[in-house]
Amino acid sequence: MAKLQSGNGVQWRDSRSPRATPDNLAEHESSSLGSDSELNGFANTETQTDRYGFIGGAQQSAGENDDIPPDVIRQREAKWLDMLNSWDKWMAKKHKKVKLRCQKGIPPSLRGRAWLYLSGGKVKKEQNLGKFQELDSQPGDPEWLDVIEKDLHRQFPFHEMFVARGGHGQQDLFRVLKAYTLHRPEEGYCQAQAPIAAVLLMHMPAEDAFWGLVQICEKYLPGYYSAGLEAIQLDGEILFALLKRVSPVAHRHLKKHKIDPILYMTEWFMCAFSRTLPWASVLRVWDMFFCEGVKIIFRVGLVLLKCMLGSQEKLKACQGQYETMELLRSIEPRYMHEVFLVQEVIELPVSERDIEKEHLSQLRRWKETHGELHCKSPPRMHGAKAIMAAEPPSRQELKQNPTIIVEAPQTTESKADKGKKIKMSKTEKNKDTINTSPPLNPYPLPREPALQSDNLSKDTLLQSSSQSLSSAEHDTYL
Amino acid sequence: MGTDLAYNFVFKVVLIGESGVGKSNLLSRFTKNEFNHDSRTTIGVEFSTRSIQVDNITIKAQIWDTAGLERYRAITSAYYRGAVGALLVYDITKHLTYENVERWLKELYDHADPHIVVMLVGNKSDLGTVRTVPAEEAKDFAEAKGLLYMETSALESTNVESAFLEVLTAIHKKVASKEVTRGSISAVTLGPSNEYKEERKSCC
Repeated sequence: MAKLQSGNGVQWRDSRSPRATPDNLAEHESSSLGSDSELNGFANTETQTDRYGFIGGAQQSAGENDDIPPDVIRQREAKWLDMLNSWDKWMAKKHKKVKLRCQKGIPPSLRGRAWLYLSGGKVKKEQNLGKFQELDSQPGDPEWLDVIEKDLHRQFPFHEMFVARGGHGQQDLFRVLKAYTLHRPEEGYCQAQAPIAAVLLMHMPAEDAFWGLVQICEKYLPGYYSAGLEAIQLDGEILFALLKRVSPVAHRHLKKHKIDPILYMTEWFMCAFSRTLPWASVLRVWDMFFCEGVKIIFRVGLVLLKCMLGSQEKLKACQGQYETMELLRSIEPRYMHEVFLVQEVIELPVSERDIEKEHLSQLRRWKETHGELHCKSPPRMHGAKAIMAAEPPSRQELKQNPTIIVEAPQTTESKADKGKKIKMSKTEKNKDTINTSPPLNPYPLPREPALQSDNLSKDTLLQSSSQSLSSAEHDTYL
Repeated sequence: MGTDLAYNFVFKVVLIGESGVGKSNLLSRFTKNEFNHDSRTTIGVEFSTRSIQVDNITIKAQIWDTAGLERYRAITSAYYRGAVGALLVYDITKHLTYENVERWLKELYDHADPHIVVMLVGNKSDLGTVRTVPAEEAKDFAEAKGLLYMETSALESTNVESAFLEVLTAIHKKVASKEVTRGSISAVTLGPSNEYKEERKSCC
């Protein structure tokens, strides 16, 4: 059935129109926001937004099962706040614990912040204060901007943040991608960076997302987005080689039908599975990816290949190259389900060493057939600890900077210099409040009555992580 | 649309051209009769099939689509393997996408079968008011290079069927006339007695 964009048949941008400035975009925003035409013909009944912001069941987020009880999430939040407050100590001495907590899943309210810390983006930001603003204010190379603009409405178009043409989400996406091309003009823009940046933007503001992108492109997946795409091709070969041990049946089948890894792993790896898995699984994979590095990506790929092609039974349905590729393009939901997938990934015995060893082997092979690499990328960092070890941050750089500071309950004390950063989720407007009356605010503004409670003094709340923080107004993932 | 049950031939056709010219929508329009203004940027490879009738023969067209951005050309040799047809797409409203056609042709001939059937496709004909590539000019160019030519609109569904049909028919003709030596069109096998070997596969 044809899905035509009603009411606005002409493209809103062509090469002759003025370069997008905030003014231009604002103009378009007024006509694009709120109209059903933006949803590309979706009927009104399909505009239900899920907990992650996806519209109409896109990204397979329908069905809320395996929900973690709220008090567990509260506990995890408290633990994470504790970790973030002394990040360097945790990473140096209790990294195993950090890893375990990432494997369990980062509490949604702190995910963006945790990702920024794990990736080293927070430190980069502090070391380069004002840099993003500087890049943001520059015009940018018109050639790159042209390509970027074409892509703005093509990333997660069914996510409420990116659905509106010229809306804030697309604007921020533009800013982040443009800034990167200015930051690394020799790299420029590669289309797979857009979904990566978009996922980051769903969790943090543009400046943070920029540094997150920088870290992914330079530390986690160096060379993935560079001209020549040599790194991704090499990783394809590594993946295939590792598959031999993980699932000889799958390996043999792919070899027999001459199915080049590039034909199935490109989108998987370049987008870190953000376009492949149901959203809950994407987030769990990214939680682990930021902590442990690219081996997580390899493991997910290996698990999916093993599940789909790992037995003679399954291979009966794939008689040829095309049929196999079709199968790999429609992975059975049960294999991508959060609980199953995370467990498989954690248990798969493929280590950094395995990857590095295979990398050397494939590099040798590459040089024999292709000659020297054109794009010599720096060696990749296998996760948060490696990144931190390479560039140890100062305490100051790790200090949390809350952007919302509220008055302390006791008026005699001086204004709090440390408050809780309240992160407003973008999907909050769709959440049904469980409480029938508004919760008592432990941090009342000067006008409001202070909460009378024994153990809710400012100091105890902030220092003691065993306290349950009783505000419910900010978190929407419960 | 044809069913997948039985077909005489499988022809692999690739869609190539600059980013944003409409390759993905040509694919979805032809194989699923769908069009989406916000179709996702193609990263890696997309593909879809459709079976059609050509002179009482059932042909299963396997259409492949990939990213148009320059740097993705580094990974396309696997993509071209076994292709017997190509639609080289440009956007009639963006002259630059037409100027780059020569480069795409070179890329094509570097990686694909020398007998590959190529059609130059000027897409987005619904935007004729902001056209920057004259149809006559493109047509002459195609003729000079030995390419088929058509203007299409994936949005309005204009000429999409015709374009694919023409390419598939031309491929079939080539196969029938045995211009192709054995082995170079991998999806088709020619028997020693000038008969086609029918491939009857059951539906997967």
